[in-house]
Amino acid sequence: MSPGSSPAQRALTIVLILLGVAVTFFFGMRALHAFQKFNGHRPPPPDKVETDTELIRDWMTVPYVARMYHVPDKFIFEALNIPKNGNKDKSLEELNREYYPDRDGFVLAGVKQAVLAHLPPPRLDSTP
Amino acid sequence: MSDFLLTQVINFGAPLVGVILFLGALGLPIGASVVLIAAGAFSQQGILEWPATALVGLIGALSGDMLSFGMGYYAKDQAHRRFGDMPAWINAQSLFQQHAGKTIFLTRWLVTAIAIPTNLIAGSSGYRFSRFMAYDLAGEIVWVGLYGGLGYLFGSQWELVSDFVSNFGGLLLGLALLGFGIRQGIRRGKKQTNSKIKFATPPSAKP
Repeated sequence: MSPGSSPAQRALTIVLILLGVAVTFFFGMRALHAFQKFNGHRPPPPDKVETDTELIRDWMTVPYVARMYHVPDKFIFEALNIPKNGNKDKSLEELNREYYPDRDGFVLAGVKQAVLAHLPPPRLDSTP
Repeated sequence: MSDFLLTQVINFGAPLVGVILFLGALGLPIGASVVLIAAGAFSQQGILEWPATALVGLIGALSGDMLSFGMGYYAKDQAHRRFGDMPAWINAQSLFQQHAGKTIFLTRWLVTAIAIPTNLIAGSSGYRFSRFMAYDLAGEIVWVGLYGGLGYLFGSQWELVSDFVSNFGGLLLGLALLGFGIRQGIRRGKKQTNSKIKFATPPSAKP
């Protein structure tokens, strides 16, 4: 028997092919799904102020959100009724756990509302 | 894990990006590519300074690669004692030596899931360190430039890019495994055919 035809090598080849098919299929489907979501989006112009509050996440800090949406961080802290001192480096999730432990997602929703309240109203297209 | 790290990157900036890319290059599953794309977006938003972040990130990734190459290098004797006689080990090493440059370069930024095994094999197979570093540097520059650049370009929409890029990397890994398996199958088939022909030819067939 030649060394290239040992049962162990045959098994390894089969495992590699099966694993390859499984990994390709799994990530292929996920990549396709991600591409479909991504496909409709274009890079925003660099000077555009972000207005989509659905992009706000639990890991963000209040100063970060304030910078992203051009809203004073003092305004957001006041809307949440949380002191700014000692809380600037905490994520929204941490703030929620610390100040509103029995109200899940309260801080995230509050930040979204505060940002929306501060954003200029959307301009209406004047063309008929 | 990634969420915690993203918050800390906002707070601690470029040095933490360097540490994360260093740990990622050592094989810790901490989502280094996600952090790199996010760092690009944070640079566009003015949270991080992009030249400093790119440089520190590059240094972190290169240091991690050097260390994992070193781990392979110092485990060389042990690996040879244990696997030295195995045909699969000999095959893998000779295959690596044939395609080392391409493999090192592409596993830095395209098929990142197999970057660590590549570093370990490079170190343990006696591949020249200076050559490893040259391909490593080129690949890491592409990784930092491309992933960070995409994050910078898409800004607040960086999560869409990250989602696609990480799944696309997995797809490429699957295709690489499939291609390698098919190649091994074809080689095995050829070897079997050759040995059959050898046995079927009578020794007195010479004129």
